[in-house]
Amino acid sequence: MTEQEQKKSASRRRYPQVYEKLIPIALALIGIVIIALVLITMGVALGLWARPI
Amino acid sequence: MLDSLVPLLSGTISFVFAFFVLKRYVERKGTYLLIWGIGTIFYGIGGLCEAYYGFKGWNPLVFRLWYLFGAILVAAWLGQGTVFLLAKSKWAYITLGILVLASLYGAFKIFTATLDPTQMPAAIHNASELSGHAITSPGVRILTPFFNMYGTLTLVGGAAYSAFLFWRKRVLLHRTIGNILIAVGAMLPAFGGFFSRLQIPGMLYIGEFLGILLLFMGFLRSTTPMKNEVIETAPLPVN
Repeated sequence: MTEQEQKKSASRRRYPQVYEKLIPIALALIGIVIIALVLITMGVALGLWARPI
Repeated sequence: MLDSLVPLLSGTISFVFAFFVLKRYVERKGTYLLIWGIGTIFYGIGGLCEAYYGFKGWNPLVFRLWYLFGAILVAAWLGQGTVFLLAKSKWAYITLGILVLASLYGAFKIFTATLDPTQMPAAIHNASELSGHAITSPGVRILTPFFNMYGTLTLVGGAAYSAFLFWRKRVLLHRTIGNILIAVGAMLPAFGGFFSRLQIPGMLYIGEFLGILLLFMGFLRSTTPMKNEVIETAPLPVN
């Protein structure tokens, strides 16, 4: 690693602490819900569950 | 009253939101803003149709408009705006062409469908909440999952992806937060519809109301920078 790269990696940008904690959790939850919604919608389309609205 | 006032509020917020989006489009251009503006107008039409039904009762034209704009097109058109924001121009225009054709087909199917409002029983919905059960012609209601899946994947997925990119680089905190609000807001009407199918009254309209509220907040947050968004930690000593 060159000195320039070392400097670059050593300098870390961070969000305020509360956001550093909350944002990854929110993103993970959104990801899980997207997958769930797609599966449910496919299930509805295929007639496995309730009819679509 | 809840089934009239809540959608009236959703519709009103949608049109105010559309004004802000289209104002930004006039100022800055960007096709994604124009299509988001169209999507939010669709949201507003859906809300006002629901409010009309709550206040005045059944009307076939209002029902058809509600189903077309509120149940089928809104999510897909909002999502299409995100496609224009994130995808290559060529793909954005190809998918827009498909969406326009599909929307016209949907409009044709809905405006030629046979309706029976007695098929919206209190057992399924609370009798004052609109429902696609009133459509008795085949091949109409099956369209909604395809439009809504496209809309959900593009709008929620696009917002979550944008938030992830900003978060990974630790830049533009206001856009990270705004996109998270947009992603959550876009999911809420889908949740409302899901709980409505589980025969929990009022959930569709409440989901739509909270959804447009969060979408609007997300848009405002994304377009308004915050103070002290990023903390630069001191570089480690390099030998």
